[in-house]
Amino acid sequence: MLLYPTYRSTDFEVHRNWLAITHSLPISEWYYDVTSEWTLDYPPFFAYFEKVLSIPAYFIDPRIVDLKNLNYDAWSVVAYQRTTVIITELVLGAVLVRFIRNSVDTPSQRIVSASLFLHPGFLIVDHIHFQYNGFMFGILLWSILMAREGRKLASGIIFAVLLNFKHIYMYLAPAYFVFLLRSFCISPSGQVQIKNFLSLANAVIAVFLLSLGPFVLLGQVPQLLSRLFPFTRGLNHAYWPPNFWALVTAADRVLLRYITRTGANVVVNVAGVSSTSRGLVGDTIFAVVPTVLPIHTFAITIGFQTIILVKLWMNPTYKSFLTALTLCGYASFLFGWHVHEKAVLLVLVPLSLLAAERQAYFRTYILASVAGIFSLFPLIFTPAESVVKIIYSAIWLAFIYKSLSHQVYEFPKSLSYVFIDTFEKLYLLGFPILLAFVSLFPLVVQHRSTSSACTTSQNPAECQEPNPSANASRLEQMEFLPLMLTSVYCALGLVWGFCRLTFIYMKNESTYQGQMNRI
Amino acid sequence: MESLNPNQQPFPSSKTTSRSQTSPHGHSPTRPRLNLKSDPQPHASPEILAPTPRRHLLESSESQHWLRTPPLSPSSSRGVSPVSLFSSASLERRIRTTSYYSTRPSSASLRSLFDSDKARELTGNGRKHEASEKQGVEMSMGRMWVRWMHKRNMKGWVAPALVAISTLLKWCIGLGSYSGEATPPLFGDYEAQRHWMELTVHLHTSQWYTYDLEYWGLDYPPLTAYVSWICGKIGYWINPAWVALDASRGIETSESKVFMRATVLAWDLLIYVPALLMFVKTWQASRSNRTQNLSLLTLLFQPALLLIDFGHFQYNSVMLGLTILALNFFAQGQDVLGAVCFVFSLGFKQMSLYYAPAIGSYLLSKCIYLGPKAGWRLFVRLAIVTTASFVLLFLPFLPPFAPFEAILQPIKRIFPFARGLFEDKVANFWCASNVVFKWKRWASTAVLVKLSTVFTLLAFLPGVFILIRTAIKTSVGATSDTSVSVDSTHSPTLPLLPYALLTSAMSFFLFSFQVHEKTILLPLLPLTLLLCGAPAGSAMFGWGVLVNNIAVFSMWPLLKRDGLGLQYIVTVLLWNKLIGYDPRRLPSKSFVQLLSFAVYGAAGLLHLAEFILPVPSRYPDIFPVLNVLITTPVFILAWLWSIKNGIEVGWALGGLGQARKATSTAPAPAPARTGNSLTEATVRRGVTRAASLGFSNGRRRAPTASSASSSGRPGTATNMGT
Repeated sequence: MLLYPTYRSTDFEVHRNWLAITHSLPISEWYYDVTSEWTLDYPPFFAYFEKVLSIPAYFIDPRIVDLKNLNYDAWSVVAYQRTTVIITELVLGAVLVRFIRNSVDTPSQRIVSASLFLHPGFLIVDHIHFQYNGFMFGILLWSILMAREGRKLASGIIFAVLLNFKHIYMYLAPAYFVFLLRSFCISPSGQVQIKNFLSLANAVIAVFLLSLGPFVLLGQVPQLLSRLFPFTRGLNHAYWPPNFWALVTAADRVLLRYITRTGANVVVNVAGVSSTSRGLVGDTIFAVVPTVLPIHTFAITIGFQTIILVKLWMNPTYKSFLTALTLCGYASFLFGWHVHEKAVLLVLVPLSLLAAERQAYFRTYILASVAGIFSLFPLIFTPAESVVKIIYSAIWLAFIYKSLSHQVYEFPKSLSYVFIDTFEKLYLLGFPILLAFVSLFPLVVQHRSTSSACTTSQNPAECQEPNPSANASRLEQMEFLPLMLTSVYCALGLVWGFCRLTFIYMKNESTYQGQMNRI
Repeated sequence: MESLNPNQQPFPSSKTTSRSQTSPHGHSPTRPRLNLKSDPQPHASPEILAPTPRRHLLESSESQHWLRTPPLSPSSSRGVSPVSLFSSASLERRIRTTSYYSTRPSSASLRSLFDSDKARELTGNGRKHEASEKQGVEMSMGRMWVRWMHKRNMKGWVAPALVAISTLLKWCIGLGSYSGEATPPLFGDYEAQRHWMELTVHLHTSQWYTYDLEYWGLDYPPLTAYVSWICGKIGYWINPAWVALDASRGIETSESKVFMRATVLAWDLLIYVPALLMFVKTWQASRSNRTQNLSLLTLLFQPALLLIDFGHFQYNSVMLGLTILALNFFAQGQDVLGAVCFVFSLGFKQMSLYYAPAIGSYLLSKCIYLGPKAGWRLFVRLAIVTTASFVLLFLPFLPPFAPFEAILQPIKRIFPFARGLFEDKVANFWCASNVVFKWKRWASTAVLVKLSTVFTLLAFLPGVFILIRTAIKTSVGATSDTSVSVDSTHSPTLPLLPYALLTSAMSFFLFSFQVHEKTILLPLLPLTLLLCGAPAGSAMFGWGVLVNNIAVFSMWPLLKRDGLGLQYIVTVLLWNKLIGYDPRRLPSKSFVQLLSFAVYGAAGLLHLAEFILPVPSRYPDIFPVLNVLITTPVFILAWLWSIKNGIEVGWALGGLGQARKATSTAPAPAPARTGNSLTEATVRRGVTRAASLGFSNGRRRAPTASSASSSGRPGTATNMGT
């Protein structure tokens, strides 16, 4: 990949720092180190993984693993880290090839596999932004593959391993739990199969012991957990991830504006007015809408998941499991506390496996993919890389759409379907417009600002400085308008996709067109 | 070739839309066996199309013959048939495969052929897959992809997708560093181009060629200046700081870099890419859709141009694109338009003067071919139009707008004879022989200029000579036969043009004065155009890819200086992988193959040595010099090879003209006229084949008109073969 010299986010430094931590410190200090602000906050397997990576790194350039050497970005470290991402992504490739091998409908599975391997989400998040998602999702898909082939014990173990790599996969854990419990530990007639249950339980516990064991011995579990689950952070991440709360926050903003205009008699939370949640890391406080606490988000998430899991319990087949898995991830993403926008991949990846099944799934997949990938765009904001991400995503989408759409096409059944169809098309049409707006907006702002007060400054970054000019301060407020619009618009699509998928799953998931019909 | 007339398709055209795993043909394994050696009995089996009547070799495989390619490429849209697969392979292999086909139930083996990309997943068919690999089904990545797209009913999307993907690749290359990044005070080519924008936007035209010549004075013809002016205006509108006069020297903000990269990409998309699209449509009109797509792929991902334009930073694609446009218009018979395009190309960079002998003599040969009357008319028209477009280009520097001396300034800047024989280490004759014979010590600059001019003249004369001679031989005026209507749009010398271009550009590169290593792009263009239609494994393919790769290798010192090492590796590997190049697959023990092994070995060793060993202090230039010594022989051989090919093609054409005179009195038997046994498809195919040398209007012409006009053309007059 030619993306070595591209922009690197803070996550790049995060991972370099972790390499240094795991290399130069003893295991007892891994979760205590605060040399850099980017402390280790992934589970132990990932720490071991970094430890392994740091060994060759030391031979390439010892300064990579120097703990004090913050913000080191020489060519050697860049090339090394980017290469590790590419190499570890081969896990994903291998698993996807395996997926093709025993599938029922090989040609469409090949398309789906290719689409996953070349997913723009991975390009943006892994290769430009820098993370190891390709590797992780390789493990996840491996686990799903095992489930497809009926090797449920292996599936459970691999998932447990994955959980110890990155705890964000907790989102999917309920579906796994129910599926394995129902189909592996309880026979179809309803009898509990103790032997199976014990073997599964023991295996999973063994995995966790292997990972957490050293820290249990050192008595560091509370510290580890506090690193892993930082509830001190706010409802929304740095900028709003495109989920349900983004919609709520936006509604709050709109209401606030409305109230201040009309002077309606509503109690306004004063703290909320100042916290305009302009995209800074920190708490989001609502001005009008009641404040949301972590417990509320949990309740909503678990509520939705329960509905899905009940259905899964009734019908524990592979295809049902796959849908339930997607929906679990989806629910957590939409209603969870402090969700990363990157977590949208958790929804898109299992959903891809369903895409070739029926028109309804395919439609949901297209909607969710477009919205999800678009919501990842702001991660990369430098102009040079934006071109890459846009062209790449467009090519990818065109391919998926062209190659799959004619296979699964279904004629709309009734008038309501026609309406929905039209609305969805209109929604998708909105994306190019939004894209044009988002990319042109800074230019316009810049033009106005250069023409008005700040004549000396050439880029918007300097214009952000407090400026006496009223015009500039107004523009400064507008700074986050594109971001806000992006999240809200994507959130709309994603929430709609969730409703759609849930509806399909609950209503009539017995008729499959594609290969799953035969599993 | 004759006994195996590839037009006789053993199988019906099968658009295998069968994505479910049914047999692609759907007929039983009791299908009659193929016997390729014997005279085919066309009506023996129902699925063999009615044959095209046997014609002379030259007639049945026109453009393909001149371009050194078989009439049906392995990627024909008619599905892969065994015959076409092996049309390029050796005879023994054919015999072997024949026996292979006749000993196995053919539907199974066919399936493995059809789905050789799928064959891997046909579980339990490992043996079959092995067999299909043994036959040398050369599946490159690009070919597999194009095929997949066609099967998936996405034929129309191949070209747009290719353009989009190549655009993405170009942009990704552009993310890297450029020539002269962060090297004050003079920076590099990037800064030069940017400086010209600032120059043209802020100054009056009279100052363009005179302003502060020490700092990257403008030294390209006016069209470059105009292009810079347009880019500069846009840049000024977006951010005036990027092109502020003097103040912006050496500006290296990331935004300005994005803008500059975007301008290159935009011009490339505006001129070069459409020119390529048009090229495959006109020059390969008689080829299948898949072959056209593959050629486009080969051309779009050519690494040398990608690296220089989008990595190093130059606008070569504009000049090359204009030249290709000129070639396209020539192929369509619109010589005047083509001449204008070529003048524009000359007006963009004087480097396309390298092509001028070939293009000039082609146009002259066309005039000769047309005979005294029509020829003179064309000549005069060309002369007027060419002069007019030159005048148009230089208009701001000519008397009504500027004093008379003003014209001298651009010319002085464009042809810098004051500089030395060569600057850097260039893989040409002078630099290579300089190792043993110190030219600069032996002769003054003036003598060297004359010497190099004489050498260059001698070097490109063969190409020119062949063109003119063929034209005289085939000239319409040379025969007194007036009964045949003269096809005034097509000149028989057209197939010679790419070879002549290669000869002349290569001779300039090797022998002329003041050559840059980047100028290798000019000989590469006709070579790649020739290469793109050739099937993998042919000698043409071998030569084309070898010279391309070695050309990129010859630019390695330059690319290394620019910090483009990664891009160098990636693009070269990607391109070779895409087009499925493997020197081991070339005709065994042929000269090309041995040469390729030797040269790649040497190049690899040099890379390794450079990576491991420190530069010896006594010879600081040892690696570039060795590079030159490796690459120059390859270029000289390529030059000789182009002359040889030109002579061969010219000989065939000229000889045919002679023969035609002898037989012209005989009534020309009409081709493709066996009555009801012809199917519609055969007629259509016959027509496309019969179109003169595969050029444009083969598709458009109606069958009857085609047979009439094609019989009038010298190359296809009679079917002497049978």
